[in-house]
Amino acid sequence: MPSRRQFLSAALVGLTCKAERTITGTFVHEAQLEGHKIRDRAAFPPPKRTEKIPIVIVGGGIAGLSAAWRLDKRAFHDFVVLEMEPEPGGNARSGQNEISAYPWAAHYLPVPNQEAVYVRELLEEFGVLENGKFNERYLCFSPQERLFIHGRWQEGIEPDLGSTSSDRDQFKRFYAMMQEFRASGQFTIPMELGAKPSPLDTLSTEAWLQQHKFDSPYLRWYVDYSCRDDYGSPAADTSAWAGIHYFASRAHDEKGPLTWPDGNGWLLKKLLAKLSRYVRTNSMVHSVRHDGRKLRVQAGDTEYVAEKVIWAAPTFIAHYVVENTPSVQFVYSPWLTANLTLDHLPREDSAELAWDNVIYESPTLGYVDATHMSLATYQEKSVWTFYWSLATGSPTDNRRKLLDHDWQYWKEAILTDLERAHPDIRQCVSHIDIMRLGHAMARPTVGSIFSDARLHAAKPSGDLIFANSDLSGFSIFEEAQYRGVKAADYVLGR
Amino acid sequence: MSIVLFISVFLIAACGLIYELIAGTLASYLLGDSVLQFSTVIGSYLFAMGIGSFLSRFIGKGLVARFVYIELMVGLFGGFSSSMLFLGFAYTQSFRFLLYAIVIIIGILVGLEIPLLMRILEGRFQFRELVSHVLTFDYLGALGASLIFPLILIPKLGLVRSAILFGMINAAVALWSTFLFGDQLLRKSGLRTIGVFVLVALTAGMVDADHIAAAADTQLYADQVIFSRDTRYQRIVLTRWKDDIRLFLSSHLQFSSRDEYRYHEALVHPGLAAIRGARNILVLGGGDGLAVREILKYPNVEHITLVDLDPEMTKLFRTNPMLTALNLNSLSSPKLTVINADAFPWLDEHNDHFDFAVVDFPDPTNYSLGKLYTTVFYRLLARHIPEHGAFVVQSTSPLFARQSYWCIAATIQQAGLHTYPYHVYVPSFGEWGFVLATHSSYEPPQELPSGLKFLSAQILPEMFQFPIDMKPLQMEPNRLNDQVLVRLYDREWRDIAH
Repeated sequence: MPSRRQFLSAALVGLTCKAERTITGTFVHEAQLEGHKIRDRAAFPPPKRTEKIPIVIVGGGIAGLSAAWRLDKRAFHDFVVLEMEPEPGGNARSGQNEISAYPWAAHYLPVPNQEAVYVRELLEEFGVLENGKFNERYLCFSPQERLFIHGRWQEGIEPDLGSTSSDRDQFKRFYAMMQEFRASGQFTIPMELGAKPSPLDTLSTEAWLQQHKFDSPYLRWYVDYSCRDDYGSPAADTSAWAGIHYFASRAHDEKGPLTWPDGNGWLLKKLLAKLSRYVRTNSMVHSVRHDGRKLRVQAGDTEYVAEKVIWAAPTFIAHYVVENTPSVQFVYSPWLTANLTLDHLPREDSAELAWDNVIYESPTLGYVDATHMSLATYQEKSVWTFYWSLATGSPTDNRRKLLDHDWQYWKEAILTDLERAHPDIRQCVSHIDIMRLGHAMARPTVGSIFSDARLHAAKPSGDLIFANSDLSGFSIFEEAQYRGVKAADYVLGR
Repeated sequence: MSIVLFISVFLIAACGLIYELIAGTLASYLLGDSVLQFSTVIGSYLFAMGIGSFLSRFIGKGLVARFVYIELMVGLFGGFSSSMLFLGFAYTQSFRFLLYAIVIIIGILVGLEIPLLMRILEGRFQFRELVSHVLTFDYLGALGASLIFPLILIPKLGLVRSAILFGMINAAVALWSTFLFGDQLLRKSGLRTIGVFVLVALTAGMVDADHIAAAADTQLYADQVIFSRDTRYQRIVLTRWKDDIRLFLSSHLQFSSRDEYRYHEALVHPGLAAIRGARNILVLGGGDGLAVREILKYPNVEHITLVDLDPEMTKLFRTNPMLTALNLNSLSSPKLTVINADAFPWLDEHNDHFDFAVVDFPDPTNYSLGKLYTTVFYRLLARHIPEHGAFVVQSTSPLFARQSYWCIAATIQQAGLHTYPYHVYVPSFGEWGFVLATHSSYEPPQELPSGLKFLSAQILPEMFQFPIDMKPLQMEPNRLNDQVLVRLYDREWRDIAH
């Protein structure tokens, strides 16, 4: 029984200040560490059974599932999708807690242009696109974005607060140039439809900005942010062709993007509803060998004897698994994402909480509010998905840093970053789960877009066809889907 | 030593007067008619003090301990007097009973204080000196209190905190007395512990005062604030000036009791009276029960569903006598089902059909509320309305926010409905607009329920005419992914304010 004095002092403390609350959480989806066994060429037990199947798809992310979607649509059903993790989905995976569903990586799909025919076909199938109109429930609600700058939030992430006429002129000139690039027809999604070898690939986005006398710090921050956000690399390390592609590839007829509480997990679930019978999880492919006209694919305790293999996993892994495959010089960006459970929302006194919330000059990418797409007018609790591409510096060092530090370290780093904009954030967060991705996405480094390595890997030939989005030089849903569909068409022969 | 003793006399006298002033002020704020309230409160208070003085003769032994207990009780009752009165006003049917009960209890306790104190001091001074000193400091305390109450306490602290502050002074005097008269006390530590508990309770009240009633709001509103509460969703404030009661939600005026009948008759009857045999009605927002009051004028109506987010709002308008007098107890009608839920998801999750729906949401002042004025919302609502039915939307002012008004009309049209916009003059709001929506055609009703104070079938068609300065504008519809309305509304109302 507490003494009277303890009781009284506890009562007084309770009145005056709140104690630092404990925040729970762990690292999640750490199965990638399994993948290191392949790199380290660990010994795997011999297979216990053999299965004959005409087509094996390696990798159950969007590329692999899109290949499956295409095969299934073309009435071909004799294939399997082998996924090394317990759940398929790759960068489209999502989670769910008692407050909301939330994304683990990709969280939106830009409104597709007319030329993205397969994306539009998929969206029609899922009821997102009806009679040429997008379902308004899936177009990101207002307010879409806000930026924390000079101690307050402004609407939109293009820096505006305190901008000079020179800043504004440069933004105008920049967009006018992007419009011209778009009109050239070379910057398309899928990129393969328009891309033509270009000197823009020989310099960095930052160098290109310099060359064109874009010196507004606001514009330069904005372009750098966009590169880190879409490619996981800073403008200084991003091919100018890719940097321009980001701005010049989309038509903006409809205010988007398309998004769901669980991000691209929504699309993934729809795909799996149709295709999960083909998917074998916990099936890490550790060896692919030619045997006469057949391919022997070993995954777990099963050996699949296939006629064709669609390699939809990241291309660089093939070197460790497929015999006689040279290593490719693709660079990948390490990422960290975290889902923060908030049992109440921080105090706001400038712009309202938006879908995407960015902090100016932060090394991180900000956070997305998972409950934003709810129809409710009042939210007391939420889940925020925090994104951080470890962009600056060498990807190898950053990967090591990502894996070396413990959960406590990253939790503190995340909260410290959010504290700039939300001083009371620690009182609001009850739980933080963190996902570390060493090779989250292909990095469009200078010269990579039109490199021989990429052009060679992207060209289908033989009985093993590559299909990962990294064949496009950068990893986005549309590219992954396009590569998957094209690989499926190739193996079926069209 | 002696000056210290007389300072306590000064303090308890000040406390006693403060509670009296607080009760009088609060009663005038809440009930109006300040002359009547002050006279009756002062009268009963003085009378109760007389009872206290009389009762003091029955206190024999243990004078100091009794004195300390009485001080602590005055501290508790006096300190929490205005909190209790504010809460009692909001949530009980018998505010006057509570008011006089509190006044009399405090009066009796205060009446006991001075006689007891004089008896405690009896041996230490000559009688002539004692009476003179005690009464001098008693009246000085009263002077001090009567000056700082209007000049400092009310403007700076408000009623709730002032009462608590003086309750803490009473408790401090009680604690101090255990030291001053320690030689005449047996169980000092027990008394001190109780004293500390009272102080802690009062401190907690001080910290939480905003929650009880934010009397500090007084400065924000032109009229006296008679109720103020921060709920999970909004700040509810009621003000009163003479017989005019006004409701503010998060600082936005919702109605004035003097002319709300114009607004609510215009909101309900043009649509509802035109639907023959309407039985099942939906009200979205409108937790004040005033639209429900109008709907209950139709004997055909069998069932009304009211969906309002804030349970505090519907509770207040179901229990407070002043407000139930205004809505004619509509929220207690057996025909009514109250659902405290967020309207948009509620509509999404239910399939019920309603002959008529009243959409009475706060204006689209932010993106969250703006969702309730979008194509998706109206399309969803239309799915709950059968072919012969209709719904009406309060749509801000077509005069002050002309673009916003016509944007709402355009949004409802975009959702595939026929729209019939109309407007009415409400003095406290100015020109106010509504949009009636149907699946097919609409003819203004020939007949209205009896007993209306504003609308007649003759003037009804005129409401659909818009003079030149309010005439229709071609506007883009408001969409979830592009809430043009919130920006329009913000700009138009800001222009009015500056």
